[in-house]
Amino acid sequence: MKRSHIIAIVIISVSIAALVGSLYDSSTYADLAQAMEDPGTEYHVVGVLDRSHEIIYEPSLNASLTTFTMKDLTGKTCTVHLAKAKPQDFERSERLVLIGSATENGEFHARDMLMKCPSKYNEENRIEG
Amino acid sequence: MSAYIGEHTWAGQLGHVLTASSFVMALLATVSFLLATQRNDDQWKRLGRLAFHGHTLAVLGIIVTLFLMLFNHWFEYDYVWKHSNLSMSMEYIASCFWEGQEGSFVLWTFWHVVLGQVLLWRWRSGRSAVWETPVMTVIALVQVFLATMILGIYIGDIRIGNSPFLLIRELEENIGLPWTTMPNYLQAIPQFADGRGLNPLLQNYWMVIHPPTLFLGFAATLIPFAHALAGLWKRDHQGWMAPALPWAFFGIMVLGTGILMGGAWAYEALSFGGFWAWDPVENASLVPWLTLVGAGHLMLVNKRKPTSLFTVYLLTLITFVLVLYSTFLTRSGVLGDTSVHSFTGDGMLPGLLFFLLFFIGLSVLLLLPRADQRRFYALISAALLVIGVVLEIPVPAILLFGAVTLVNLLIAYRSAFNSSDPEESLWSREFWLFIGSLVLLLSAVQITFSTSIPVFNLLLEPLGNGLRSLSSATGIGAFTQLADARFAPPSEAIEHYNRWQLPFAFITSMLVAFTQYLRWKDSDRRKFWRDIRVALLLATLITAACVWALDYTLPEADRVALLFATAFAFTANLGYATVVLKGRLKNAGPSVAHVGFALVLLGALISTSRTEEVSRNTRNMDLRFLNEAFDNNEDILLYRGDTVRMGDHFVRYRNKERKEGNLYFAMDYYGVEPRDYREGDTVRVGDMLFVSQSDHIAGDHFLADQPAYWRPVDQHTRRALWYAQEWSNARAGAAQFTLHPFIQINPRFGNVPEPDTRHWWNKDLYTHVRYADLEADADSADDGWMPDRTYDKTVGDTIVTPTAIAIIDSVYVMRDSATKSMLGERYTVYAAHMRVRDLYRSDRWFEARPVVIYADGAPVMGRAAEIPPLRVKYGLSTVDAAAYVEPSAGQRNVVKFGLTVAEAEFVVMQALMFPGINILWIGCVLLALGTGMAVWQRFRERPSKQA
Repeated sequence: MKRSHIIAIVIISVSIAALVGSLYDSSTYADLAQAMEDPGTEYHVVGVLDRSHEIIYEPSLNASLTTFTMKDLTGKTCTVHLAKAKPQDFERSERLVLIGSATENGEFHARDMLMKCPSKYNEENRIEG
Repeated sequence: MSAYIGEHTWAGQLGHVLTASSFVMALLATVSFLLATQRNDDQWKRLGRLAFHGHTLAVLGIIVTLFLMLFNHWFEYDYVWKHSNLSMSMEYIASCFWEGQEGSFVLWTFWHVVLGQVLLWRWRSGRSAVWETPVMTVIALVQVFLATMILGIYIGDIRIGNSPFLLIRELEENIGLPWTTMPNYLQAIPQFADGRGLNPLLQNYWMVIHPPTLFLGFAATLIPFAHALAGLWKRDHQGWMAPALPWAFFGIMVLGTGILMGGAWAYEALSFGGFWAWDPVENASLVPWLTLVGAGHLMLVNKRKPTSLFTVYLLTLITFVLVLYSTFLTRSGVLGDTSVHSFTGDGMLPGLLFFLLFFIGLSVLLLLPRADQRRFYALISAALLVIGVVLEIPVPAILLFGAVTLVNLLIAYRSAFNSSDPEESLWSREFWLFIGSLVLLLSAVQITFSTSIPVFNLLLEPLGNGLRSLSSATGIGAFTQLADARFAPPSEAIEHYNRWQLPFAFITSMLVAFTQYLRWKDSDRRKFWRDIRVALLLATLITAACVWALDYTLPEADRVALLFATAFAFTANLGYATVVLKGRLKNAGPSVAHVGFALVLLGALISTSRTEEVSRNTRNMDLRFLNEAFDNNEDILLYRGDTVRMGDHFVRYRNKERKEGNLYFAMDYYGVEPRDYREGDTVRVGDMLFVSQSDHIAGDHFLADQPAYWRPVDQHTRRALWYAQEWSNARAGAAQFTLHPFIQINPRFGNVPEPDTRHWWNKDLYTHVRYADLEADADSADDGWMPDRTYDKTVGDTIVTPTAIAIIDSVYVMRDSATKSMLGERYTVYAAHMRVRDLYRSDRWFEARPVVIYADGAPVMGRAAEIPPLRVKYGLSTVDAAAYVEPSAGQRNVVKFGLTVAEAEFVVMQALMFPGINILWIGCVLLALGTGMAVWQRFRERPSKQA
């Protein structure tokens, strides 16, 4: 076997491994119901902050714990414990992506959260005259 | 329609005319240079040049016009209104210019024009002038595409590009609204008085220099790309490389600098706690750099002997394609939820996608050696384009196009480049340079795959049904999984990329270390080992020293391996510059750049693997009770005036101060001194009180000290225990420095915390405020307390706060004569009697008597009761006077009242210690410097070789 063949085989196998690896490491988007069915497995859950419930953040108890209620895209709500300090402007957020898993008792433990704030491209452009 | 008052419509009209002419001129230049190449005709060439000059003028005109609009705050223009305002300082006007999608396209176009003019100027002096027409055809063609991105015209219902010269009243969503017909709308509608302003994140000097550098880097990749296409076009597979090579390294230098500037910006102004987060936007700029480095090095090999031609082409072409792909990823909106700082779509997706696919198709088309193959491929591609657009099935068409392209790429390889060269020696430099380029390509492939996960979802979506039926036909469940999957990016993104990239970094570093010591074609093995052994020995010593100093353990063997490889790359290149080149500066560029590369990796490795979270949650509640995955060691809570131990320092939150829209927090840092106790000092340990027997300096643990120095106090009052200090072995020493992390207060874009960092030669202390009371701003009293919270309570209720539990025993009217005579009959004074207990110590009790004064049935004034040891304050806000009953002896009255509770003011801060980060920054400088030296050398040496 020529050396170039060995190199070609190595390249192809590493590429395939990288593809499989990135899919293997990838998480899955889910709604709350799916996450609840499978407690302990990590999911990305997209939703919005439910403003009708209180955001509880007691830094003097624990500076890295924020508790709030989230409504997913199907409308289901759930209590979320986020292991982070309350983000600046959390109240204004318009979209959340939680990264974490559901627990047996129907709560969601988020290890991390991505937050989209009102984008610069909407809302205030609407000028009513 | 009547004329509008106060508009500067001429600027927008001028802008539209300039945009249109830049498009037309680029098109004319493309056609002229194309015909000049095909017919070898000087007239067309001259026309092409003229058109390109015209295009250049138009682009410069666009820039001047847009700057003029920004400078003069003409807020009737959408771009000006969205990206600037009156109060921002003029130094950031450049950031406004390229903050938006449209402006950054203009910036990119601008650099292409500049580089195109430099090329034209060099060709005029006769250097490699044969390449002028084909290369300029490609450049002008790219400019045609870029010009459409800002054209903003309609063809039928489809808008092509977004123009930065639109008036707000001309925006699609505003057309037909009543106010757009008001002649005086600019004066009448208050929103037009001021723009929305620049995102505070971008009001940073890095944002003034980082985007132009990055875009110059992107633009520089076009020159090798254009030369490669020219080489394929003219079927001169060697000639194009000599002129392309210095540009490839110029691109490596500028793009690399741009990427690292982005890292520096993130480190200095963003608060995600680091310089690299493997964010899609960062990845998208790193990947083309990796392939460009591979391409550049293979061009070097080809200066010596023609070899691995296909790989050179592939890497050069793919670099520019990846630049387009990164543009597509970050601007089309496909990343959606996965990236925090990507642009929103704005309907750019189809245009950007076509831009990308067109140049992929063109590259593969030209790689095909035979005319009939090219015709066939072009025909299929065109057919797929028509099918995809007309039948509105873009995704299957794209997938099919991808498959056809891949097959044709293989055909091109088999029929044109599959030479049967004799194999290169294992001991030759060219062999390992080739391997290195492939490793870089693989590294790029891996990053691209993982970044593209959101794209996979889009591509798989229409295949869902097919996969499901495939699954039921074959019985393989994996297909259903694939059909149903909605892939999200790796949730441990940083770990994912670090794990995958570490082996690539290891191999690359090893190659960077030894490849220079090999000679072309074949090397004398003994000489090789003799030259390199000192470097090898030194690298081993450095590794051992680092392992010892930084405490690496066996599970971190992979990191130690990378540590060794980078140390080896460092010593070997240092050795090469001094021993082999004997310090001749002229040829030292590559060595300096390689030393820089090694240091960047070494610094990144040390600082990321040894980041120390010095702010720890040491108080009270452990988060891991809730969930094992939760991290308890991130943030520290600091009460105003409190001095708390944090790592190697004591830190004290002194005060906060509002300055120009920023809220600055003054954090004083003190050294740590051993605690000395004098004879007779009392300390508390748990529930016991101890008294010191003699003057001494505290040791590490109380238990070790106790027999020699401390005697327990058997009889003591409770009060003595409460007020005794806790034993500790250290105390705050001399004040050392103050850090001022701050929060940008911006009601429009949201408040943004910005870090402040203390630099030492060997480490950085990086801090930012995660949470603070922002309400106590300049207007309200900054009294050292958090905002009040009010609760409706009844006598006998208890209230629990984070530090205390309070019982309200009674609420009564103060009727003592002193109060009465002082206030008079109109006033009633209510007081509450409360017992307050430390939440965590059942024997620590306090009393509180908040007071509220009523006049004519309404509260006029109150006095809160503070309990400083528990950092809490209670106040009476209201008393239900109508239902008030006098308490009788031994019996509680039932009164409703409002109780306000406030905690002492605090902030939550994160502090990270990055060791060795200066190695990284030194590496960055050397990498840029060394590459710059090499580029300079290449540009200078060419005439003599070419002549």
